[in-house]
Amino acid sequence: MKSLNRTKFLLACTLAAASALAGAWSALAQGAKTVRIAVAMPLTGDMGTEGQGVRRAVEMAVAEANQSKAFPYTLEVKALDDRADPREAVNVANLITSDPGVAVVIGHYNSGCSIPAAKIYARAGIPMITPASTNPDVTGQQLNPKWTGKKSVFRVVPTDDVQGEYAAQYVYSKLGYRKMSVVHDKTAYGQGLAEQFKKNFEKLGGKVNSFDGISIGDKDFKALLTRIKSTGPEGIYFGGVYTEAGLLMKQGRELGITVPFVSGDGAKTPTLFDVAGAAAEGSYLTITGIPVEYLATAKDFIANYKKRYSGPGNELKPFDHFGYEATRIALEALKKSGPDRAKLINALHQTKYDGLLGTTTFDAKGDTLNKIITMTKASFKDRSFPPVK
Amino acid sequence: MTPVSAAKWAGLAAILVVPALLGSGNYAYLVQAGGMIGLYMILALGLNFTMGYVGLFDLGYIAFFAAGAYGAAICGAYNVPLLIELPLTVAFAVLLRLGLGVSILRLRGDYLAIVTMGFGEITRLVINNLDSITNGPKGMEVPPLQLFSWTLSGNLGYYYLIAACVALGVIGSRRLEDSRVGRAWVAIREDETAARLSGISVNEHKLLAFTISAGFAAVAGMIFAHWIQFVTPESFVFWESILIVSMIVLGGMGSIYGVLLGALILGGVPQILQVFLAGSKWIDYRYFFFGVVLVVVVLFRPEGLWPHKRRQAELHEEAA
Amino acid sequence: MFLQQLVNGLTLGSIYSLIALGYTLVYGILVMINFAHSEVLMVGSFVALAVFRFAPAILPQGPVGLIVALVLSMAGAGVLNVVIERFAYRPLRHAQKLAPLISSIGVSIVLQNAVFLWVSTQSESFPELIAATQFSIGGAGVSSLQLVCMASAIGLMMGLHFFIEHTKVGKAMRACSDDLETAGLMGIDSSRIIALTFLVGGALGGAAGVLYGLNYGSIKYNLGFLPGVKAFTAAVLGGIGNIRGAVLGGFILGIMEVMAAGYIPRGSDWKDVIAFSVLIFVLLLRPSGILGEKIAEKV
Repeated sequence: MKSLNRTKFLLACTLAAASALAGAWSALAQGAKTVRIAVAMPLTGDMGTEGQGVRRAVEMAVAEANQSKAFPYTLEVKALDDRADPREAVNVANLITSDPGVAVVIGHYNSGCSIPAAKIYARAGIPMITPASTNPDVTGQQLNPKWTGKKSVFRVVPTDDVQGEYAAQYVYSKLGYRKMSVVHDKTAYGQGLAEQFKKNFEKLGGKVNSFDGISIGDKDFKALLTRIKSTGPEGIYFGGVYTEAGLLMKQGRELGITVPFVSGDGAKTPTLFDVAGAAAEGSYLTITGIPVEYLATAKDFIANYKKRYSGPGNELKPFDHFGYEATRIALEALKKSGPDRAKLINALHQTKYDGLLGTTTFDAKGDTLNKIITMTKASFKDRSFPPVK
Repeated sequence: MTPVSAAKWAGLAAILVVPALLGSGNYAYLVQAGGMIGLYMILALGLNFTMGYVGLFDLGYIAFFAAGAYGAAICGAYNVPLLIELPLTVAFAVLLRLGLGVSILRLRGDYLAIVTMGFGEITRLVINNLDSITNGPKGMEVPPLQLFSWTLSGNLGYYYLIAACVALGVIGSRRLEDSRVGRAWVAIREDETAARLSGISVNEHKLLAFTISAGFAAVAGMIFAHWIQFVTPESFVFWESILIVSMIVLGGMGSIYGVLLGALILGGVPQILQVFLAGSKWIDYRYFFFGVVLVVVVLFRPEGLWPHKRRQAELHEEAA
Repeated sequence: MFLQQLVNGLTLGSIYSLIALGYTLVYGILVMINFAHSEVLMVGSFVALAVFRFAPAILPQGPVGLIVALVLSMAGAGVLNVVIERFAYRPLRHAQKLAPLISSIGVSIVLQNAVFLWVSTQSESFPELIAATQFSIGGAGVSSLQLVCMASAIGLMMGLHFFIEHTKVGKAMRACSDDLETAGLMGIDSSRIIALTFLVGGALGGAAGVLYGLNYGSIKYNLGFLPGVKAFTAAVLGGIGNIRGAVLGGFILGIMEVMAAGYIPRGSDWKDVIAFSVLIFVLLLRPSGILGEKIAEKV
């Protein structure tokens, strides 16, 4: 008797779950007069901070587009949470490809999520624009002869090599440093930047005193910094994002390291000043595109963002403007092609968009050709990053 | 046919037939979700050998899943055919687990948990740091599963492969559970000293359980890698080990259908929440709800949702 | 440089020790891993931040402000821990051994997400309760923060030692830790003692949270996880359930990590591997930790 009840119970559970899924799904799939923009980002978990930022930027771009009444249908943002976990990213990708109302995907954040998810989007013929994944394979995998889908993957951030190379040249020729220490956060992004910096700096004739990885989540880097100090570098390059960058700067100053830190766009966010305090002053950070001070669109973006999201924790995060730009590019293409995915992909390949990063066009595999890098210098006083020559 | 077996067959038919009917329509997502839950089921069945039957608390099981996945990736990079890759990868995972197993035979309870946790973290960090072999944090491309000239691609194929593995796992588990070995395991769990005194070779039986559980994880890892065609160390964090342990405890330690149910719930709840909450602001609450579900379920069914009969009897005896 | 690294190691070790005590106290009495302790630590640091945001007047810069922040955070985290015990662990006291563990994992997820959803989704800068100044002791640079951190941690540990060894309640706690049932038969209200243990353990976690925020300057919803794992490792290394063991384990782990990162090339990449390898090695030689007593098997 008991086993009968259990079997029934299990069956009932399964059926309930399945019908719940199905019910929810059909509710979502309805509504033909809307076109959906999917945002696949880590919205919870350790990377939730960054993912939420990009989502806010995308929502802003879509709200502006709806206001402008340039589209004969309503645009809708569909945010999904990949938790920075490749397996969840694949789940999310399958969920998105099952929804015929989605025209384009803005995502994912981590390269580890973008690479497997891109395969699924390509098979379904949905264009995907990543605002943050910098691993060359995200788009590079499309050149593989076994690639089964369309060339539907785009990227508005430059790959690691572009920024790392620029930083190496800047440090070597403009700052005149010959001895650098390099630290990275052992992620695809941070290690990629650091390796490119090291390669190019050594090619120019510089010397890399030390090359070390740190773990994300660790807070105490004084041991490593003490050792770095003893090798007497003229500067420290860090590949990674603002949390660890800030801690390194703060603890470095406490240990009496006076040489400047150099890092990439992952560290360039006002939150850096919350972590590092005054120790962030004078740090060099590369950013992609023309500095905001020279572009009216970028100034508008920042002003609108601040107006729209004024609550605590809603400060601009490092990849938000890429999310905004990616959405604007998608909407621009959507305007020309209509919501048909195949036409949209073609339109995206022909993109020539002037936005807050400068002019964006894509090469054959979907990488942005806008590779202008600018060096900025952190200013603690007004929590800003003015560009330097 | 009794109503029980009728219900069973109907359930089985639904599991096998429904996915094929979904095609590429609006519900195609369910096939992939089912496959992912199936992978968790294989892992939970595998961990059930050491944790459920023998009672060895293991917080680093994901390491062997990682070994399987990276075995597949590295074999893929050198174009090793599947018939060699499979034994090679499984053997590697088993040896790794035996190495760990031999060294921790003396440890019990939570000391064991912390050593296995350390081992799991060591595995992930080594994968992350050994760039020359594993390509480090940038991850590795994995070709789809290929046997001779036949390639398995698409969610449906993997779904059936995983379903077959789950079925094999269940059959194997049931056979072992009712065998001499299975009874010896339970005897060790209940009282190691008494089991030893009764003439059970405790160490050999423990190592056997370790071997089998590593095999399950390695196979699951291989399928995972070939299916999503890309592996990075991010997939093998400590959290995943905790999740599998939770599946076993929540379902019912040592109960085959219990751990399957545990995998279904803990693997399924985040996905159901994703479907329900996608696009709304509630999506941010996904893991908050997940945590609530975990606490509520364990408070209402502390012995597990579907405990093993033998174990349930014991627990009630204790409480009485 | 060695002296400098030693100072770095002692700072890290003192924080690990303080957190490890919370694990070991609860473990000693209930034989359960309280996974939620790392989140109690995180909440403790946010309590201090909240006080600073809403009533900055009671947190002046200097020792007074620090003590007020410590006391409030300890109270907040201690009460939280008691509430968790009451609602998530006590109903499971007679259930199978791993049920409270799963419950604590659930509580940990809930707390972390609750802070993420309703308090802050990003790093928040922590109030500078103590002005950061640098001293030089024998060529090693020591910051005032490090000194405060070490001093507070050691002070709290000594206070705990006194409490456990020399008060009546402490004696009852020790009795419960030795044998909960027998202690109950001897007229000790074991439920109250368990609640008290959670209060003390949570308070130490809250204090660690404040020192953590103070020393590293910023706090975030997920700050608890990694130090939690490390501190638990430290508690096991020293012999879990043993208070001196937790302190010793914390310092050994902290110093070991610092030395690995400080002296071995690329050691920073491998320091956790080294730390966990040492843990496994130590447990092979001494299966119940460095100071842990060999527990007689209950047959």
